[in-house]
Amino acid sequence: MEVRFAGVEVEKGGRRLLDLPELTVGRAAVTALLGPNGAGKTTALRLMAGLERPGRGQVLLDGEPAERAARRAVSYAFQRAVFLRGTVRENLELALRLRGVPAAERGRRIARAAEVCGVGHLLGRDALRLSGGEAQRANLARALALDAGLLLLDEPLSGLDGPSRSALLADLPAMLAATRATVVLVTHDRDEALLLARELVLLLDGRAAAQGLPGEVVRRPPTAAAAAFLGHTVLGQEAVLPGALTVGPGEREFAFAVERVVDLGTHLAAEGRVRGTPARAVIPPGAPPPAPGSEVTVSAPAAAVLRYRDDGRLAE
Amino acid sequence: MGELWAGIREAVQLILSGDREVREIALRTVYVSGLATFLAMLTGIPAGYALARRRFPGRTLVLGAVNTGMGMPPVVVGLVVWLLLVRSGPLGGLELIYTREAMVLAQFLIATPLVIGFTAAAVQALPPELPELLQVLGAGPVRRLWLLAREARLGLLAAVMAGFGGVVSEVGASMAVGGNLQGETRVLTTAIVTETSRGNTERALALGLILLGLAFAVNLVLTRAQQRSG
Repeated sequence: MEVRFAGVEVEKGGRRLLDLPELTVGRAAVTALLGPNGAGKTTALRLMAGLERPGRGQVLLDGEPAERAARRAVSYAFQRAVFLRGTVRENLELALRLRGVPAAERGRRIARAAEVCGVGHLLGRDALRLSGGEAQRANLARALALDAGLLLLDEPLSGLDGPSRSALLADLPAMLAATRATVVLVTHDRDEALLLARELVLLLDGRAAAQGLPGEVVRRPPTAAAAAFLGHTVLGQEAVLPGALTVGPGEREFAFAVERVVDLGTHLAAEGRVRGTPARAVIPPGAPPPAPGSEVTVSAPAAAVLRYRDDGRLAE
Repeated sequence: MGELWAGIREAVQLILSGDREVREIALRTVYVSGLATFLAMLTGIPAGYALARRRFPGRTLVLGAVNTGMGMPPVVVGLVVWLLLVRSGPLGGLELIYTREAMVLAQFLIATPLVIGFTAAAVQALPPELPELLQVLGAGPVRRLWLLAREARLGLLAAVMAGFGGVVSEVGASMAVGGNLQGETRVLTTAIVTETSRGNTERALALGLILLGLAFAVNLVLTRAQQRSG
């Protein structure tokens, strides 16, 4: 399903939450809306779900206004897994009944969605007594069972403890591959977007700051602001790819004021500043860690350093 | 202690003998308080829902007023309704003073803040995303309201119980606007006051026990419904 934001503006309390003159998503199977808190990600999702109407412009789902199409074409898994009283099965059953799915079809859909999301053993359990990870899986199962054309996921991994998050993150690609729906997921985590999505839309201050293949967007953010959010070390008009700075000489060298050395488990890293900007540089295996307070040379491959123009846009 | 046992004996005798006056008073009590509670539900549940869900200027003020209303002395409500309905009052032309309808009105005003307050608390206890979840799933406005009411049913039944309990046991408002007219507006609470003032303490106690039994029976039915659905 193609989702088109045409001249969309949303304002609340005098603040512009979203400003999307023209944005189309859904060409890829899974699109991630990535951005910091307050960037307008959830607002965009709510517009697609028909839960809000834009102050200006239109959100079109395959050409039809979202507020009209959403009720049959959209499935939405809220950030917090919310259920009504009853078992997981009863909750899934109700969702399908509300969508007008015939009784004979419901059992089959529930069984399939439960299997895909790994909640088959939870179907008889009280939905209000599930753990965080179980509830989120049941939430996804309900969304998948609807078999809608557009599946919206609002931060599906937020609020989960480490092991539950890792387990769900590992299973999510298979879950999403099992649906025919176009998936749009909201996240503020760059790695989640890279792992799950085929298309990335970076939202900053309510505007689409970048759109494209996730790896490509991270490698070559179109603006310095996008680079900063994506974890690049932005040094004035230059930005260094995340993890590309290494202590020692190399193709592009920078003076680095060491503040401390941290053991990240897999390797040591020096934390400090380059031209006053906080930065982290990998200490090569076997190299002596620099002393805090000292100034050392750090470097990055030339290909890992991007240049930005005065207006903040990528130079080449 | 002797009077208490005598009262219990007389209550049992009154109930078993099917005393016509007592039966009429009890039925009148059920009619007045039941109708007042029903009307309070019709207005109080939607108002409580709106108060819980909607954000509007002055909402805190309204909530504060409702919470105050939940503890309002019935005799004050009775006085205000009496001032409105008395022949020289602004609504005197309706000729409702010292009628059962006046008592229903006063008890409705007592029960409504209780129903609104308990409903608002019950709805606020629901996850805030629930209405939107139901909307996204395709439930229309009526279906959504029904599902939400079903979800909040424990609290809503508590609201009804609080409303009925509040009015069936009040005496001040019924006395003020009903006048305690024998065969017309006398209900169990006003009858108890009358019998006590006449020195008929056993009969007053007997009426009190019938009132307790009535309140218990109604609440038992509601509690059973509440616990079964919980």
